[in-house]
Amino acid sequence: MHLPPWFCYAAVVLVAWGVVGLLQKLSTNYISAESSLIWLVVGFFVLQPFLYPGRVLFGYSSRSLGWALLSGVFNALGAWALFAAMKSGGKASIVAPLTALYPLVVVLVAPVILHESINLLQGAGVVCALIAVVLLST
Amino acid sequence: MPKLATLKARWFWYSLLCVLSWGAWAMLSKLGSNEIPADTMQFIFTFGTVPVAVALLFARRFKMEKSGKGIFYAVSNGVLSGIGGLAFFAAFRAGGNTAVITAASSLYPMITVALAVTILRERLTWLQVVGLGFAAVAIVIFSIST
Repeated sequence: MHLPPWFCYAAVVLVAWGVVGLLQKLSTNYISAESSLIWLVVGFFVLQPFLYPGRVLFGYSSRSLGWALLSGVFNALGAWALFAAMKSGGKASIVAPLTALYPLVVVLVAPVILHESINLLQGAGVVCALIAVVLLST
Repeated sequence: MPKLATLKARWFWYSLLCVLSWGAWAMLSKLGSNEIPADTMQFIFTFGTVPVAVALLFARRFKMEKSGKGIFYAVSNGVLSGIGGLAFFAAFRAGGNTAVITAASSLYPMITVALAVTILRERLTWLQVVGLGFAAVAIVIFSIST
């Protein structure tokens, strides 16, 4: 079976972030969710020396660099909002499945911004995936 | 229809902010990855997360729990999360449908649940079992649909 290249990368994402989910449970046994997020960012910086691209960094368009930077801002903002939701009385059993629906935003926005459309089979896959993450995070 | 009380609850709006933020994160990841390779994306992404971490530090008045284990797990989390991020950017850069890639990579709770059962000896709820079934179907569909 010939798998598309993105699929193999996505498999790495699943395993890495899947383990992260477990470590998250373990770390919040000892420290608060907020502290956990702060130390997580410290963990990001452990990788930085290996990722430093050198001068080529300044060759990219400022627009793309801006997207990359904002992607980090929104990722962390989302994590903060998740903790805030839990702290302000949201039940984890409701907040977790609700916030797992973020791919839906991409499904709705991608056709407009990226001019991409999904075929029926892919749409069925996305629906299955959304049902799966909602049920798994209960 | 959500109840009116839900719409007045702060947790609901925070949850919505979370969904929109993560939606934006995925979209921006794709937009940036059109030009920038995965390792450089992750390098810049990391600087983007700093303002939120600093804001949290201020909100906590720089008081951090001194739990070696907690800190070790959380920092390891960051390293692994960064490696996952690298693959996430690489997936977008490899081409393919953005919504599909986002949905496929959002399935990571299936691994968490599987590990929680085998390592933490947690028990699966029947809803989670059904969830694993849907995840498996989604993965099969994604693997054949491109």
